[in-house]
Amino acid sequence: MATLTLESLGKTYDSGASAVSGINIDVADGEFLVLVGPSGCGKSTLLRMIAGLETVTHGSIRIGPREVNRLEPADRDIAMVFQNYALYPHMSVRENLSYGLRNRRMARAEITRRVEEAARILEIGDFLERKPRALSGGQRQRVAMGRAIVREPSVFLFDEPLSNLDAKLRVTMRGEIRNLQKRLGTTSVYVTHDQLEAMTLADRLVVLRAGKVEQIGTPLEVYQRPASTFVAEFIGSPAMNLLDGVMEHGRLAIGTATMRLPDAHCGPVRVGVRAEDLRAVPGGTQGALPVRLSYVEELGSQRLGHFDCAGARLIAAFPSGQGLSEEMALMADPEALHLFGADGMRLT
Amino acid sequence: MQNKRAIFGAKGLPYLLLAPQLIITAIFFLWPAGQAIWQSFLREDAFGIKTTFVALENYSRLFADPSYLNALKVTVVFALSTAALSMGVALVLALAVDRTLRSARIYSTLLIWPYAVAPAVAGVLWWFMFNPTIGILPYLLKGVGYGWNHALDRGDAMTLVVISAAWKQISYNFLFFVAGLQAIPASLREAAAIDGAGPVRRFWTITLPLLSPTTFFLLVVTIVYTMFDTFGVIDAITEGGPAQSTNILVYKVYQDGFVGLNLGSSAAQSVVLMGIVIVLTVIQFRFVERRVNY
Repeated sequence: MATLTLESLGKTYDSGASAVSGINIDVADGEFLVLVGPSGCGKSTLLRMIAGLETVTHGSIRIGPREVNRLEPADRDIAMVFQNYALYPHMSVRENLSYGLRNRRMARAEITRRVEEAARILEIGDFLERKPRALSGGQRQRVAMGRAIVREPSVFLFDEPLSNLDAKLRVTMRGEIRNLQKRLGTTSVYVTHDQLEAMTLADRLVVLRAGKVEQIGTPLEVYQRPASTFVAEFIGSPAMNLLDGVMEHGRLAIGTATMRLPDAHCGPVRVGVRAEDLRAVPGGTQGALPVRLSYVEELGSQRLGHFDCAGARLIAAFPSGQGLSEEMALMADPEALHLFGADGMRLT
Repeated sequence: MQNKRAIFGAKGLPYLLLAPQLIITAIFFLWPAGQAIWQSFLREDAFGIKTTFVALENYSRLFADPSYLNALKVTVVFALSTAALSMGVALVLALAVDRTLRSARIYSTLLIWPYAVAPAVAGVLWWFMFNPTIGILPYLLKGVGYGWNHALDRGDAMTLVVISAAWKQISYNFLFFVAGLQAIPASLREAAAIDGAGPVRRFWTITLPLLSPTTFFLLVVTIVYTMFDTFGVIDAITEGGPAQSTNILVYKVYQDGFVGLNLGSSAAQSVVLMGIVIVLTVIQFRFVERRVNY
């Protein structure tokens, strides 16, 4: 149990390329922090820096009160679950689980106790004597988790641990990881590129972009108040709609449609609106956008209409029964609009 | 693998297509092997005028002959030492390459070159360096008080042929070890590092066990190499001497057959060698194919 503090952390390669920079994150004891971002945003590098598998060139990493920048991975009191599980193929499940403990010369009785305990929690007791290749993907995943648990570390690190599983198993394992982490109360850092996984697992999530923190917050905060157009488009499915508009004297104009907005800003803006905040209104309503239907996606519980709005693409979610016509008008409440400046940052 | 089957209309075509391979096998392997087996049951007189059928007498004489048993022992020592030396050095070099990223390619290319050197040339190369009269190494060894002379000392002779034979084979083993090491996912070693295993422990508990299929394959290949392809090394350096101390089986076949003209015994020795290589090949296919450790 410990806190994890990253202070102006950065890594620059010998070639001068910067992988991550200026990272300031405080992870509370027992918190589940998710690092999310597109490929190449530096999230895995950041995790590997915490693990000690990548060197740190700037700033510091502290686990509890202890700075661990220069410590070997083994001395940092962390455990990591790898994307490909990294189970030792020549060892049985039991040996895989106990390897880290045996290396630390723990008493044999204690090793047995911990392995049995982890096997019980993860329900892998039946195949402790099997080799990893004789296990299914989900079972391997559990063994990889077990190897982290037996160590009873201060911090768990997860590097996209669910990306090799099929969709259904992924949802199940997601729930199990969440429950397990709550039960053990171990501080955890989890890397994923899947925004849904990030939303469902995180106490707080960190959206990374090009090696920098774009936004930190609880999943709902990030969803409801994205700090930039990047976050707005990345978090949430379908992605938030973004339209070009102009603010003038408390009025927002998007193409021909105008509406009152209590905002003092003046000039061109990017207007963000979530698919579920749009609703169909009769043509000619004040502030409604005239749109043209291009196609419909049926999701069962709802239907997503894909529209063309004066050259921009727009997605709106409707209840499954609603009829959609070729020419429609869509509108959102002023409170549901997100305004972003020309630089992509949130205005209010 | 075998679900794709071509259907030939004409009966003869498949045989025609296989013919080149079959003819080569028949002419260059089956026929000489058959000749050797037949020859091993015969004995010729000293002038090659009369040939007598003696059944297995050549074999029974062979295994009662102290010089043949000595050759057998020498071969085992030579094969195991060469395998140990060439594989050990190759593994160390491969580990070094696996750690280096930048110059790995140049380094690897340089290390592969010795493989292109013919065994006899390699033998001569080492023979010069270790020549008791003009060689540089005996000169240096004299400096530390060791009088090197592989023409007189049995240990020196064996050491020299082992070094020469191993040197050539290091390249081959090195290539396979590098490939084997690169097939081990980096995450396994990282996981082991997090699991508290230092570099040495990581090597013994993770890297080496995962390399075991490669190691076993190379062991068999290297032993076959030392038993059959090292004729040139022996012939160029020691000619089996001093006092039979480096007379390995394959060299004795040549000495007894071509130099001593005892064709029956030489043929019997060839057949024994053939038996050994068949056994080694079977071992290789049975065990290497289904990966040794996991």
